[in-house]
Amino acid sequence: MEQRIIDFIAGLRAAGVRISIAESQDAFNATQCMGILDRTDFRDSLRATLVKEAVDRPIFDQLFPLYFGSGGPPLLNLTDGLSPEEKNLLAQALRALLEQLRLDQQQQGNQPRQRGGFSSPENQINNLMQLLRWLLQGQNPTQQELDQAGQQAGLQNADSPYQQQWIQQRKMRQLGLELLRQLMEQLPELLAQVGMSQEAIDELMKGMEANRDALAEQIAQHIGATLARQRVENQPDQKQQAADLMHRPFKNLSESEADLLRDEVRRLVAQLRSRVALRRKRSKSGTLDAKKTLRANLRYGGVPMELKFKTRHLKPKLLLICDVSTSMRAVVEFLLRMIYELQDQVASAHSFAFIDDLESISEDFAEFPPDVAIDKVLARLQPGYYNTDLGNSLNTLMMRHAATIDHRTTVIFVGDGRNNYNNPRLDLMDQIKRRGKRVIWLNPEHPRQWGTGDSDMLAYLPYAAAVHRVSNLAELTEAVDKLLTAH
Amino acid sequence: MSDATVKIKEQLASQQYIASDEITTVIYLAEQLGKPILSEGPAGVGKTELSKAWAGATCRRLIRLQCYEGLDETKALYEWEYAKQMLYTQLLRDKLQDVIGHVSSLREAADRIAAEEEIFFSERFLLPRPLLQALTSPEPVVLLIDEIDRSDVEFEAFLLEVLSDFQVSVPELGTIQAKHRPTVFLTSNNTRELSEALKRRCLYLYLDYPDVEAELNIVRLKVPDLAPELARQAVELVHQLRNLDLKKSPSISETLDWARALVQLNAKQLDEKTVETTMTVLLKHETDITRAKRALARRGANGGTNKPGPAGFDPDDMGSYRVFGRK
Repeated sequence: MEQRIIDFIAGLRAAGVRISIAESQDAFNATQCMGILDRTDFRDSLRATLVKEAVDRPIFDQLFPLYFGSGGPPLLNLTDGLSPEEKNLLAQALRALLEQLRLDQQQQGNQPRQRGGFSSPENQINNLMQLLRWLLQGQNPTQQELDQAGQQAGLQNADSPYQQQWIQQRKMRQLGLELLRQLMEQLPELLAQVGMSQEAIDELMKGMEANRDALAEQIAQHIGATLARQRVENQPDQKQQAADLMHRPFKNLSESEADLLRDEVRRLVAQLRSRVALRRKRSKSGTLDAKKTLRANLRYGGVPMELKFKTRHLKPKLLLICDVSTSMRAVVEFLLRMIYELQDQVASAHSFAFIDDLESISEDFAEFPPDVAIDKVLARLQPGYYNTDLGNSLNTLMMRHAATIDHRTTVIFVGDGRNNYNNPRLDLMDQIKRRGKRVIWLNPEHPRQWGTGDSDMLAYLPYAAAVHRVSNLAELTEAVDKLLTAH
Repeated sequence: MSDATVKIKEQLASQQYIASDEITTVIYLAEQLGKPILSEGPAGVGKTELSKAWAGATCRRLIRLQCYEGLDETKALYEWEYAKQMLYTQLLRDKLQDVIGHVSSLREAADRIAAEEEIFFSERFLLPRPLLQALTSPEPVVLLIDEIDRSDVEFEAFLLEVLSDFQVSVPELGTIQAKHRPTVFLTSNNTRELSEALKRRCLYLYLDYPDVEAELNIVRLKVPDLAPELARQAVELVHQLRNLDLKKSPSISETLDWARALVQLNAKQLDEKTVETTMTVLLKHETDITRAKRALARRGANGGTNKPGPAGFDPDDMGSYRVFGRK
């Protein structure tokens, strides 16, 4: 049983649940304390000690029956209820049916092999007989037989739960459950012909169907458990992978790697938050706060032994202007994710997206959680054959949304500064710089490429207080960190 | 269900708290293993009530620590009563002469005073805050640390130390060990991620909105004056509202408030007028109220036909709302 629990914990970890050694120890203590007799109590005690986040509960609920399932309902022995003559009749009917099937198979043997028929006719008959034995005598398939059938169905190459359904079907076909269906259709007539009573036939058929469902259940559980176990073995070293991916440029990321990084963002945001809080605490700034000093020094009779300073930190107000042309999408997506996870660290964050014109995207973020909002925004602004035009976008910004820039706002441009030779509108840039607190550029290109071709970066450079290169996630995190702490 | 868990369920029921199997299992484990319980879930599902009920059921005192941003050690653990110390100093100034007596040097005078030091840093002047109260209590207590997610990260780290060893060291008095390990309940509304170390220490309990039958039992228990048929209609309506995409779904406490309001208003049936006038008891945002009214009006239009209403309403539930269609 302990090995089972250890396997279960390994399976949970492979599925993404973080379980520490202390918690697994707690799980053992809890099961010892609670006992294993009652299944619900056992499950609740495991869940209370292993799963510490609400999002992991569905994973637990999915994996628990696979490891601690009762193996599905047991198969019942049907031949017990039959009298000896009935058994004889049944044996006769089955023999007749199998002969018929053999003849059919031999006839079909001349035809080209069907799709999905991957064993010889003789093999199929053997499988069918084994199946009948299970069903009629209520013999549960052994672990070995299930494993064998699983291997033949290609179970060892699968590791995703989505393949479960498909593998299950293949396995069933392998075992001959298809043929069984034919047989079960023909069997009642044959039995009636041979002289078995109707009610005996009905009971037998019902029992066979129940057994067949139970068998399907057992197979499904076996597949699920094997898949989970394989996932544990094949699990790549995720932490190392994430650390490597942080330094890979955004444009070189595949979809699955990008997904990995999206999960990383949450962890990074938590890091950033504590970093910002620490820096704020240790910073020595501000003027003396007389009221606080006196209150803190009451214990010394009013003698100011500890000085307290005014530490009123204003959270930054951000205005994000993001270039959403195809090359910039990944950067923009990750940046927006970060900023919206860090909502509690900024007083307000308005975001706009532009290609050739500006569009506000803050409302999407107000309504939906970040990933849904980003998908919506990116779907709405399809880059077609538009040319990036920052100058025009700035025009729209100053005409319609100038109120979002005040003396506390930090304006952040995310783009490569390439304007397709349109007017860069440096006058508007100047206006923005004057109105706002400061301007920051985030550019994924290498500094050597600034100013080449249609890039106006060198022209924009004098107006920016800081320019950061954000070609991968590590650099993006640094840039966001500097953003938040420079106040 | 073993005997112990059944007993816990009965104990909680005696305090008018209907506990699910999961809750009883977690409480049993917490008592046996001595671990704190971290309960998360939407607001108003009974996390704080659970600790109160358990304290009442086991006849222990409930010590409550409400967390907020900026909560620090002085407010949570202990503080010295400076004012009292200074008062005593002033009053005892005359006695001071006698203690010092006739001394030849300043060092001797300081030594004699140092000998009496324990007076001013004794337990007499120690103001114990909730955590220290829980640790030094002569009988077992239940410690409730409410809304831990509203405190800051430093407080969580400090709390870890207390929760792991149940001892605290006061520099002047030494280490104070807990006489009895208190049963600790932590509640969180999940507004922010708690630190992993804290979560590792605790047993986790997720309390979600109950299903219709469970909530009906709660309403029957707490608001017995409400007619059973009306109670069922009310609970089903609340469940429909929870299926809508609202800013703040109605919680169990709001259901109970609404039930009490219906009793006060002597409502005989859940017609549109009653629901509209009392909707503010259930929903606390203007946008939610408009959305709910629209959804209910749409259901009223669909009521009586088997056409599935929009917003995913279940036509099987139409039964109780024929009243809306009777216009």
